Amino acid sequence: MTRAQGHRPGGIHVSQEDVRRLCEFVYRRTGMWFADNKRYYVDRRLAERIAATGADSFLAYFSLLRSDANHEIQHLVNAFTVNETYFYREEHQLRCMTSDLLPSIVHGKKAGEPIRIWSIPCATGEEPYSIAIWLMENWSEVDRYNIEIVGSDIDTRALEAATIGIYGERALNRLPPSVIGRYFQPAGVDAYRIDPGLTNSIQFTRANLVDVEDMRRYRDFDIAFCRNVLIYFDDTSRRSAAESLYDCLCPGGYICLGHSETMSRISPLFRVCRFSDAIVYQRPEHADDGR
Amino acid sequence: MTDVEKLLDARILIVDDSSLVRLYYRDALQKAGCEVEQAINGIEAMEKVLAQKFDLVIVDVNMPRMDGFSFLRALRRGAPDVATLPALVITTEADAQDIDDARAAGGNFYLIKPISQPDLLRHVAVLTGAPT
Repeated sequence: MTRAQGHRPGGIHVSQEDVRRLCEFVYRRTGMWFADNKRYYVDRRLAERIAATGADSFLAYFSLLRSDANHEIQHLVNAFTVNETYFYREEHQLRCMTSDLLPSIVHGKKAGEPIRIWSIPCATGEEPYSIAIWLMENWSEVDRYNIEIVGSDIDTRALEAATIGIYGERALNRLPPSVIGRYFQPAGVDAYRIDPGLTNSIQFTRANLVDVEDMRRYRDFDIAFCRNVLIYFDDTSRRSAAESLYDCLCPGGYICLGHSETMSRISPLFRVCRFSDAIVYQRPEHADDGR
Repeated sequence: MTDVEKLLDARILIVDDSSLVRLYYRDALQKAGCEVEQAINGIEAMEKVLAQKFDLVIVDVNMPRMDGFSFLRALRRGAPDVATLPALVITTEADAQDIDDARAAGGNFYLIKPISQPDLLRHVAVLTGAPT
């Protein structure tokens, strides 16, 4: 998930005061300031860097950072900035959803039936909201089915931020201005609040991808977006998550991974589908197919 | 959209149990300048039409608690200003019997989903008496 289980071996403790010191240091060295509403990202990226450097405590990591060993300041800054998510990220997959996945899914459905779409991990909500907006903007049959979008994450603070729905201007960079005008309201300096109608149209839940019991509560999804998270797991957790995801999908359901990820090396359960806009993975209609 | 501006004054109630569908219709109507209220079922819709004045109600058929037809029958039995409120019925059903049922329940017009935003606006313009 956003904070991968087993991703912080030994469970290194980082206090609020540690994070404050780190933020001040980064600010002095780079001019980048992470306000409290960015705490979720800061914590997550910091955990990644601690794990990546093999530091065994926050202090050990902080001293490494201050000495700038192996350009650690740059690594940390990159971690803070490059991967922050935004609306319409990997737009080609959203295009693939409306041009290929949904036409195939509704083929077996009657009008008015549910179509279930899952964003896991959904972090602070950019992805499930993007899915909803994309569907309203680009799918002519959006009102013909009962679309249920679920956003799940292990981090309850991220989920809280998702339900509040306030985003910095940068997160909205990829959205056409007309879309911003219709679905967002300015909320202070460089910040926008998403339409409460959108907040209400998505169900946000806490779920842990590598907890089999947790995952049993999720079933019958037609599409799952599970991007850029499996890469953080070790092989065993990755296979377990893939198998859980398989069970969460309807037969014939699709899973979209991040652009650098491939299911083929993780699990043989899925069928590879090469569409013009994206490669996605399908739970075969029948259990024997594709194995 | 030129005919869109003629809708500017309409107050419209959208009744549908799907929040995404309500948002999709609301977006079209607001772009056209309408004022939009929403309800998630017939009961909530009834409360709203009794408390506020609308020019049109757009109502889905299949909803939990009180469906669109029950809502329309209750509406038509109401006080004169409520009973004459124009109603656009929207549904996924498409056979002749369904259309007859919608008329019998008190619907003024019937549209089958999927409904494009321009199509919705055209029908709203007609039903709210905007010149076309």
